[in-house]
Amino acid sequence: MSTKKISISQKSRRLMIRETTTSYLFLLPFLIFFVMFVVYPMFMCVYTSFFDATMGREDIFIGFDNYKTLFNDEVFWVALKNTLIIVIVSVPVTCAFSLWVASAISKMHVAATSAFRCIFYLPVVTGSVAVTMVWKWMYNNYYGIFNYLGNKTGLLEQNINWLGDERYALGCIILILLTTSVGQPIVLYVSALDNVDKSLVEAAEVDGATELQAFWKIKWPQMMPTTLYILVITTINSFQCFALIQLLTLGGPNNSTMTIMYYIYYNAFKLYKYGYGNAMGVILAIIIAILSAVQFKMGQEK
Amino acid sequence: MKKVLALVLALCMVFALCACSVSTSAPKAEEETAAPTEITLWTYPIGGWGTQETVDALMAAFEADTGIKVTVEYLTYADGDDKVNTAIEGNAAPDLIMEGPERLVANWGAKGKMVNIADLFDDTDKKEINPAALAACFADDATAYEYPLVMTAHCMAINKTVFEAADAMQYIDEATHTWKSVEDFEKAIAAVYEHTGAQVGAVYCVGQGGDQGTRALVNNLCGGTFTNPEHTEYTWGSEENIAALKKLYDNPAIAFDSGIAGGDEIALFYNGTLNVAFCWNIAQQLNPNTANTGAAKTASGDDIMFLAFPADGAAKLQGGIWGFGIFDNGDAARIEAAKTFIKYFCDSAKTADAVKAANYFAVRDTAEGADLSTIWADNDIMAEYNVLMPLLGDYYQVTTGWAEARTAWWNMLQAVGASDGSVEAISAAVDQYVNQANGK
Amino acid sequence: MNTNRLDANAKKKKAYSIFSAVVVIILAILFTFPLYWIITGSFKTGAEINSTVPVWFPSEWDMGNYQRLMTKRTAPLFDMNIPLISVSAFGYTLNLGGLTITGPTVPAAIRWLINTVFMSVGSMLITCLTAAMAGYVLAKKRFWGKTIIFSLVVCAMALPKQVILIPLLREMSALNLYDTIWAVIFPIVGWPFGVFLLKQFAEGIPTEMVEACRIDGAGEWRTFTDVMFPMIKPGVGACAIFTFINSWNDYFMQLIMLTSNKNLTISLGIATMQGESSTDYGLLMAGAALASVPIIIVFLIFQKYFTKGITMGAVKG
Repeated sequence: MSTKKISISQKSRRLMIRETTTSYLFLLPFLIFFVMFVVYPMFMCVYTSFFDATMGREDIFIGFDNYKTLFNDEVFWVALKNTLIIVIVSVPVTCAFSLWVASAISKMHVAATSAFRCIFYLPVVTGSVAVTMVWKWMYNNYYGIFNYLGNKTGLLEQNINWLGDERYALGCIILILLTTSVGQPIVLYVSALDNVDKSLVEAAEVDGATELQAFWKIKWPQMMPTTLYILVITTINSFQCFALIQLLTLGGPNNSTMTIMYYIYYNAFKLYKYGYGNAMGVILAIIIAILSAVQFKMGQEK
Repeated sequence: MKKVLALVLALCMVFALCACSVSTSAPKAEEETAAPTEITLWTYPIGGWGTQETVDALMAAFEADTGIKVTVEYLTYADGDDKVNTAIEGNAAPDLIMEGPERLVANWGAKGKMVNIADLFDDTDKKEINPAALAACFADDATAYEYPLVMTAHCMAINKTVFEAADAMQYIDEATHTWKSVEDFEKAIAAVYEHTGAQVGAVYCVGQGGDQGTRALVNNLCGGTFTNPEHTEYTWGSEENIAALKKLYDNPAIAFDSGIAGGDEIALFYNGTLNVAFCWNIAQQLNPNTANTGAAKTASGDDIMFLAFPADGAAKLQGGIWGFGIFDNGDAARIEAAKTFIKYFCDSAKTADAVKAANYFAVRDTAEGADLSTIWADNDIMAEYNVLMPLLGDYYQVTTGWAEARTAWWNMLQAVGASDGSVEAISAAVDQYVNQANGK
Repeated sequence: MNTNRLDANAKKKKAYSIFSAVVVIILAILFTFPLYWIITGSFKTGAEINSTVPVWFPSEWDMGNYQRLMTKRTAPLFDMNIPLISVSAFGYTLNLGGLTITGPTVPAAIRWLINTVFMSVGSMLITCLTAAMAGYVLAKKRFWGKTIIFSLVVCAMALPKQVILIPLLREMSALNLYDTIWAVIFPIVGWPFGVFLLKQFAEGIPTEMVEACRIDGAGEWRTFTDVMFPMIKPGVGACAIFTFINSWNDYFMQLIMLTSNKNLTISLGIATMQGESSTDYGLLMAGAALASVPIIIVFLIFQKYFTKGITMGAVKG
């Protein structure tokens, strides 16, 4: 009896070893890239953040000094504030906008639906740099199209220096970000609306529910997973907004469009503060981790 | 389908191997074989040295004479520094770099990234080279990180046709290319403003490109300085500079524009939107614009006139010195080849070609017996531009912390532009950033 | 009365749908406008570009911008470096000389386009393969360390890439990969989204099918290629589309990792042109058109797959 048991466990042990070996062989190609280019740099990022690292000399260990400096760095707080503004504005607006457009176009003829879906997806495929360049031209203070139209229609009394005025610059950046980020959510919402259980909606309408009621009570809950997914990807996207800043404003005017992402780059490659930049990266990663956890939790509750 | 996929993947792998090998094999290969050395040169857009056609011709001649092949990369002022910095961090700095002492000596040299090339200067060279340029290239008596080739004075420009129409030329001394006084400058701007009804000039402040123009404008207006004469501290927080910033702020025809960079300003000047440009020098004066209306013309064919910055008394123009430096990549053969390159272009009979390509003035009158003083004799614009050269001011760009100071400068301009324009607000903004520049 | 209310309701509904259609059309026009502006702008003369009154349609199709774009910089069409091989034995050294093959010189913009395609397609193919293999075992196998690996994957997904740029740059230079397209491709491949996605897909495949195949005596690799891979193909397609778009748009990594003219991608190339001594929107628009039109055409052709891929990615992700 007992010998049999041992042989089974030995067998399963051998099986487990075999399974593990084959599994790791399958995992190996991915793990090489993942460990080398994601995990290791992540580790180094945390490690270097405790050093005064700059160009042309060995890194000096300084403990938590980078983090201390960070908390007293006004620009960092401005950058954090701007980053959060971008996220807080663009995420709900993207969701609401794409939901509305999706519900409007999903009722149309199939061909029209797919045509509109394409159109709203265009800015995504155009590529961030190309899009940024054309917007830069349109925003131009002297011969941009926005100032022309504004003056022509009487909305503006004089030219507005869109990207050069700290009151408008961040808004302008967010607007571009929005046009490039609604494409995917619209596609997702259209298909989510398609998949809503039609019989439930019809039943509700027979019961005299208005369209709006039917939407909130029946469709919306069913689309919750999609919404959650959209929330997550737009949040990550908004945090990563970098090309726009780097190509349009360099964080100006007067730091009004400075984001953490750009501030890391700025410290690392303009001021040679590598350790400091890494410390900022660590803080940003922590913030994003907390946000993702909250979103995930919210999703689970629903 | 599967076969195609497999083929593509296989190709990818082959490419991968080849691509990886580019960098891994390159340095070793050179050590083992003394065969033709290859070096890399990165240049900023210094006149024709930023144009591939011109440079290709020079490099072809160099290769024919020395057997050294030079691969050239072209940088821009907008992102060139970032590129070099990432390359240094990525251990892929070029062998040779062409720029001014503010980068080569004060920045990368000071950070220990450059090779000391003091041995390239013999006593004759030291006598021949313009003393200011020579001094700027030496970090101390025995250490040089740059070999100078050309120099110029940065200036500003006006749309002469418009100024004439506005009857504003009376405020300008045309023979010496200077403003009669700061007051005359203000009167002229006001006259043009009245004539066109539109903004005349812009203090551009997105990024550091072309900031020598805004620096010189501010410094000259009320007689301030950018650094102390010993080059140990930034002094642009002085009362004179604050007064100058206030003057610019209060001028209705000149806007602090945080939406444009130096390159945008030039584009706006070319197309006639702005009628003065603060980001100017002889290279722009000689280069035809993209509308191809010819040199020294705007896109609509108006005449462009270059001018010293407005000042009471003699203006102090910001000098530009350009030459070559060598990055220390730890490969003796490549450093040797780079030195050959410098000798060839900066101190030989070929120097004339290199100078001409740059569209600037040589830093010396003779090089190894070759006469350089007359190479621009047949060029009227260059001859005319010579009147500005005596106005060259202190070459302060080698002050410690130069990279930080430049960044602080344009951020300061943005802060001033966004302030309410009161003296207190301006000095608060200036103080904050000048302290940052001074590392306080 | 009841019918009246229904009538009114229907009227309201109709009015609303007309209203929403109009708004959507206006929005659609606004969304296509930047692209229209890029394409027409690339054919405008300098005067038209800089005119304060916008020129809605170029009066004559001027090729000057494209000419400047094509002549400004040149680069070899391709270049390969076969390393110097040296074999040492018994005191003798045999050098099989290193060889550099360089293609004909073409406008740099062409090379940039090739680099971009190579980068996007390369990272797409490698990602799909590695992610499918990893996703399969993470979903279907039990082995030591699985939970740790999977939680690492999930954690890394939310992390913005920019955070690790400095260490990554130092690493690439240590590996001699700095300033090669691979320095951009490898971090994309290492990004674990694809693995996560394909794990979800593989989980949807009944385990019995995999086991049945194993019982038939097929090896692990055969099981993967013949059973698993075909079944998760839609997922692989979604993964391919995501990776392709992400790498095409991944300006940041390119900016940090690539410097040589011949190694730039098209986005980076245009961005570099922005920094020239005098801003030239015509040239920039020509570059932007060159960068965007090819991928838009690809997108329009494979539009159906794109939408399918995106939706599927979301459902499973």
